[in-house]
Amino acid sequence: MTEAEWSHWMAAAQRGDANAYRFVLAEAAVWLKRFFQRRLPPSMIDDAVQDTLLAVHEKRHTFDPAQGFGPWLAAIARHKWIDRLRAENRVDMVPIEDDLAIPDHEEQITTAHALERLLGMLKPAQAEVIRLVKLHGLSIEEAARRTGQSAALVKVNIHRGLGRMNDMVLRGSDVD
Amino acid sequence: MSTDPLIDRLATDLRPVRRRTPWRDATILLVLGIIEIAWVVSAGLMRPDMPHAMHMPSFWWKTAGLAAVAVISGVTALLSLSPTRSPRRGLRIVGGVAFLMLGAGWLVDALQAGGPAVLWHRLDPAHGLVCARKIVELSLPLALALGLLARRGAPVDSHGTAWAAGIAASAFGALTFALACPFDDPLYLAVWYLSAGGVVTLATRLVLPWLTRW
Repeated sequence: MTEAEWSHWMAAAQRGDANAYRFVLAEAAVWLKRFFQRRLPPSMIDDAVQDTLLAVHEKRHTFDPAQGFGPWLAAIARHKWIDRLRAENRVDMVPIEDDLAIPDHEEQITTAHALERLLGMLKPAQAEVIRLVKLHGLSIEEAARRTGQSAALVKVNIHRGLGRMNDMVLRGSDVD
Repeated sequence: MSTDPLIDRLATDLRPVRRRTPWRDATILLVLGIIEIAWVVSAGLMRPDMPHAMHMPSFWWKTAGLAAVAVISGVTALLSLSPTRSPRRGLRIVGGVAFLMLGAGWLVDALQAGGPAVLWHRLDPAHGLVCARKIVELSLPLALALGLLARRGAPVDSHGTAWAAGIAASAFGALTFALACPFDDPLYLAVWYLSAGGVVTLATRLVLPWLTRW
């Protein structure tokens, strides 16, 4: 797809053309995957692509067809990449002590432990809304109010978080 | 993890959007600025010696300098709300203009030099603090408007945008206040106007990045 075509389809998407938008996002996803493959570890690529697609969606009104879709998408992708690197640097690494107490092997505790470990591997925003909605039974609106996220973002975070947990289990991650 | 379900959901929920243009944002700020200046004039807050002041070089130095800084930094802030534009070049220009303005002020000042006691008298802290507080108050509407516009925009350098927005808001607040302020002494202006502008700019720099959503 040429730059002009990309801009044309995105301009149509701004007018509400869902098919054009689906087309643009699918092409953008391919481009973003290549972009992040050169800059991030493999485990972070899918999340970065989805994060960037969400940003493209949220900020689609800032796209100016006169400036081209490629530079606009690249600027957002670069911003998301830097954001992700900063977030990685902020994560505190806690050393695990050798004499760590071993939990009981009762089924419920093991399940809760495994669940917590899986949740711990998610982004905090995803883990928080999954806990609130799926474990504590809050509605989407209540979780949105409690976390300060929009209702749409709560849904997306739950979807992505559950998808990622599913992937980790299927990949045979060392979750008990 | 496939992105297809996400793309499907985003496309299904798609609503038409009104494209953001710097011109529309600039018009909003301009209207807001005109309303604020009209309020100062209609409330009778304008300096009583305005006809006389308009013949003084220091009055035009003050208003022209502040207007230039407000316009350049406002344009810089608005342009930087597009992800493809950086505010850094505009900030450098604003820095240069502010430096030129101060330099010109010192030149005006050098023509009427005095001793330390005279300098302290010219600073007039009692009035200076009141001036600084009023400049901060008059800067708030534009700072809030720029904050809301930044929230809707997509600044990739949110700190740079925040600097530009803070300078624009404080320069505009000072410009509006300049119509009411009877002081034209460059030393007085350099100390009190810069202090008030510094407070607004710093506050905007600290708060605005938190308002921008990505």
